[in-house]
Amino acid sequence: MNQANTMAAPTARPGPDRFVVGLALVGLVVLGSLVWAETAPFLLALLAIGTLLGVALYHGAFGFTAGWRNLVTQKRGAGMRAQLLLFALTALIMIPILGSGRDDVIGAVAPVGTSLVVGSFLFGIGMQLGGGCGSGTLFTVGAGNLRMLVTLLFFIIGAVVGSLHLPWWLDLPAVDPISLIDGVGVPGAIAVQWLGLGAVALWVNRVERRAHGHLEHGELRLRPAEGGALKALFTGRWPFLWAIAVLAVGNALTLVIGGSPWGITFAFNLWGAKALQGLGVDMGHFEFWSWAYPAQALSDSVLVNIPSVMNFGLLLGAMLAAGMASRFNEASRRTPSGRSFLAAVVGGLLLGYGARLGFGCNIGALFSGLASASVHAWVWFACAFAGSWIGIRLRPWFRLAN
Amino acid sequence: MTAAYQRHRLVGVLLAVLVMILIDHLHSPTFAFNMGNGRAESALVQRDASACAPCGAPCPSTRE
Repeated sequence: MNQANTMAAPTARPGPDRFVVGLALVGLVVLGSLVWAETAPFLLALLAIGTLLGVALYHGAFGFTAGWRNLVTQKRGAGMRAQLLLFALTALIMIPILGSGRDDVIGAVAPVGTSLVVGSFLFGIGMQLGGGCGSGTLFTVGAGNLRMLVTLLFFIIGAVVGSLHLPWWLDLPAVDPISLIDGVGVPGAIAVQWLGLGAVALWVNRVERRAHGHLEHGELRLRPAEGGALKALFTGRWPFLWAIAVLAVGNALTLVIGGSPWGITFAFNLWGAKALQGLGVDMGHFEFWSWAYPAQALSDSVLVNIPSVMNFGLLLGAMLAAGMASRFNEASRRTPSGRSFLAAVVGGLLLGYGARLGFGCNIGALFSGLASASVHAWVWFACAFAGSWIGIRLRPWFRLAN
Repeated sequence: MTAAYQRHRLVGVLLAVLVMILIDHLHSPTFAFNMGNGRAESALVQRDASACAPCGAPCPSTRE
């Protein structure tokens, strides 16, 4: 999804789709009541945060995939710069929390090695073929996109297969997680992250300036492109800065309330494994599912698994936002078929497998990893971008527009 | 303009998801604990501080 492009042609829109909005609200009330009655208040808070993140992703049209593709194909960098701004702001908020010595918070750090390189590269290819990243897949499914539902189903399958293979990949050359907070302290970690993000921004600006002679700073717009601020708040389209603020604060709140930063794809693993277990497969035989956290999550309710609860909120939040914008399921008027369908299948598998090997998606590994000052996030970024470049080159064969 | 979706399908999908969540929850230790089984081990806080990645993977240095 490209915010700059979709904002270019304002059209008169009907009012909110009351049926979809009502159904999303009923879903949130039912799920919220279940979480409240059966689990704990902090999980209800995380469900609410997930909902808000879903609204922000949809109304902000905050797609990582399109931002990367626009830089490669259109040589436009507004989407990339918006992502870099998001990373910088979130790092500024979260690194001091993680470096404060509190023992109830853990950053999104992960090993640096073969598994990470291969996984993030495959994920990058999958992003362009599947049509979205972790968050992009989820919020577009919430908005009723049938093709992305296919991507999500195969994302889950790929993630489960990846979980079975991950122990083998972990035995290949790798080093333990490298935390910049441990290495250079809180101010040093923020400085390193900002310098790194600034360097990427300079490169993005150079690419855009070379192609167009000037920069389109769509990411710095504070007011909505059409309509008043209040109307845009409820029905979209949000300026990037609004979405950046909500996503940054949402991730920081997730860290403080849940104990670890925002992540999406572990829940896909869990849902797939639970489905297999329901079919009689003993997942405990596989090494991944014998590790403490996956084993705990597998044996207990999805309602006490933070990524699952937040994903449910995100799906319903995106549905609510799409209903408010009266655009629910609009992207599915044409049923996916042929090579486009095949791209969703292949892309979904690569996304799932890559996310598991790469210790997360653009949210858990990249966004939360950079905000946790973990070196693995930079490796993930570089390898996923390289994979994305390959994926963009493959898109025409799958009849996907660039 | 015609709706891009059919209402009964949308309700059906959401109900199916809710039923799957409920089936999973009703078979969980958390539900058993809430129903008075004090020996059921609910994993309300699922975290492994010794893990090396958000998914719970161990550190490469600990692999044999």
